[in-house]
Amino acid sequence: MEYLGQYKAVYKAKSGCEDILAKAQDGGIVTSMFAYALETGIIDGAIVAGPGSEPYKPEPMIATTVEELFASRGTKYSISPNISLIKEATRSYGLDKIGIVGTPCQIQAVRKGQLYPIGLRDVPDKIALALGIFCMENFPYQGLFQMVEDHCATKIDNVTKMDIGKGKFSVYTERGVNSQIPLKVTHKYEQPGCHVCLDYVANMADISTGSVGTPDGWSTVFVRSAAGEAAFNKAVEAGWIVAESMDGVKPGLELVEKLATEKITKNQKYLEHRAHKEHAALKPLRNPYI
Amino acid sequence: MSKVVEISPTTRHEGHSKLVLKVNDEGIIERGDWLSITPVRGVEKLAIGKTYEQVPKIASRVCGICPIAHTLAATEAMEASMGVEIPDDAYLLRVILQCANRLHSHALHDILALPDMYIPGTDTKINPFTPEEPVRSVAKRIQTLRMIGQTIGEIVGGEAVHPSNPRVGGMYKNITPRARAKVYDLAKQAIPLAREQMEFMIAVFENYGKRDWAEMCGREVAIPKDLGYHQQGYMAADPLYGSTSLDANPGWDPARWLEVRPWDWYMGEEEITLEDPAYPVGGTTKAGTKAWPQMQACTGVPLYDGQPVEVGPRARMSIFKNYDRKGAIGLNIAREMEYMDSVYKMIEAADAVNTSAPVCADVIPQGDGEIGWAANEAPRGCDVHLAKVRNGKVEWFSMLVPTTWNFPTCSRALTGAPWELAEVIVRAYDPCVSCATHMIVLDENNKLVAQKLLE
Repeated sequence: MEYLGQYKAVYKAKSGCEDILAKAQDGGIVTSMFAYALETGIIDGAIVAGPGSEPYKPEPMIATTVEELFASRGTKYSISPNISLIKEATRSYGLDKIGIVGTPCQIQAVRKGQLYPIGLRDVPDKIALALGIFCMENFPYQGLFQMVEDHCATKIDNVTKMDIGKGKFSVYTERGVNSQIPLKVTHKYEQPGCHVCLDYVANMADISTGSVGTPDGWSTVFVRSAAGEAAFNKAVEAGWIVAESMDGVKPGLELVEKLATEKITKNQKYLEHRAHKEHAALKPLRNPYI
Repeated sequence: MSKVVEISPTTRHEGHSKLVLKVNDEGIIERGDWLSITPVRGVEKLAIGKTYEQVPKIASRVCGICPIAHTLAATEAMEASMGVEIPDDAYLLRVILQCANRLHSHALHDILALPDMYIPGTDTKINPFTPEEPVRSVAKRIQTLRMIGQTIGEIVGGEAVHPSNPRVGGMYKNITPRARAKVYDLAKQAIPLAREQMEFMIAVFENYGKRDWAEMCGREVAIPKDLGYHQQGYMAADPLYGSTSLDANPGWDPARWLEVRPWDWYMGEEEITLEDPAYPVGGTTKAGTKAWPQMQACTGVPLYDGQPVEVGPRARMSIFKNYDRKGAIGLNIAREMEYMDSVYKMIEAADAVNTSAPVCADVIPQGDGEIGWAANEAPRGCDVHLAKVRNGKVEWFSMLVPTTWNFPTCSRALTGAPWELAEVIVRAYDPCVSCATHMIVLDENNKLVAQKLLE
């Protein structure tokens, strides 16, 4: 399990709240964790990917109530610069305990900011809960727009859900028209920066979660830190989250491991390629996990 | 026969300055010069040609203790030049910032001033870093007060040091109701602490004023009853916040201000003839060294009605509240008396601010080159910034900072005191020297040619 990082426990889990599940991407784990943490004071605000000016264009927002949090349910496969709000949350929002959700690279940024708080004075000690989501790659909004409008031939305003799974990018609309395109078509729309990333399951988060490895409607959850463990166990006890053992779950951790290995070996190759002297201008990146 | 002694650098205040003192045979100062030797920042020159948004940010970098005052003064100087009216709620946020700055700065001064003072009723000097009571709880209280000031500055200003939130036209962001609640709670927490701190410090200063002697250089030095008295006037623009040229009744008058060269105001070249290796820390300057205050002073000498004036807590208290204590002790006590006002005003402003109102002006005219000034009552006194903005670019910028005003005034106040206590007088002004540095021009023979040229 080399590429899954350190974790205290792994679960098959989903939200215990019907409202959350109704609009959730998979198991609604992030929304449920934050909702529970907000209700119980583990955090007093969460930085999430809220609705933006265009459909499916996320914009970071600070949710201080469960109602605000609900506006951000579901995955938007485009970039939400959540870290940009991390300082403002402690300033004009007056938060002392921040929850933040992010992709593996964003969680790396949070941790690095906690270690070296340059431009983040008085922020490091105020990060209470960092939730990571599994991430293979991310699309700039213009790329996502093109995938939906051109390849899937769907007006993006009509889309009710987007999903990546089983080798396909799927788009669902209200009228019941579903389009699917194979992932190999989407590759050219990926952010180039994603190809140097060596983290699939947010190794540095308190809790990381994603759909891979568990049946539809459930999420795989890695509980990594002591703070994450305490919050997760309490959320399970309080009924906000239903968690079951991963034993015997198909496709299970093998698939997570397979995809993580796939991403990381592919990106390592790309890093080596960049390190080659013909590309000397592109400096190789250090593997942050060595 | 008078002797010359030099204390360089002076300690326990911000920046670098020194004292050149002519003393008589009894060690009493006949003529004192206190001057800045901080290298020039060049902010006024850097500002030329920059946009009006950039200049307040650059100006605030002149110092890290009252950057809030410099940000607000420079921002308002731009607004005054361009004729921008800011929304009421933006003003209230600025008032909170101002009070937060004053709270933390006064608390910081306490820790710098305490080592000169005695625990009342004893002959023990106060060491604020000792783990022993009663000093330990005082040090903790000072830190808590500073924490409160800095945290409130951080919430409202975006950053405790060099605030990012104030902008020309108001503020970038209003605060959320939760942030306002936090400001309120912190200010409430500060009320009893500030009162205890004020009462403690006043008792300590009064005790010093009643003492006959203070221990310096291993000997007992007599404390004169008129320690730090001077005959100069006071200048203050407002009891709490400030004033600009847009006000109906401006609190400051540029026509009464004149800036002259230190050449005209300080001593000529002198040879040090008195030294004391026992003076803390490391002794005074060695005898035989040369000092040349009129060349070495890195400030201009601003005059108000042709005379140096005092700015700061006592100036505000004297002009607006009929306070009448003179001398170094009177100045220290006036500063302590400002604690409560800054906390109460913070609460009042937090109460009044509407967290959902806009905090930036709708229209920001780009300026037509008219001169505008803003006088902000910084913790150390009246901080005046002047600016001319044309088509969004700053044509001319000048900073008249508190300690610049206080340098020549305090130099007058040194007369009559034993030289060993000169630093006690200097510290009463809570000097913050780095912003008080101006450019001078030398010709090929190292003679000062002009200062006004490069201001």
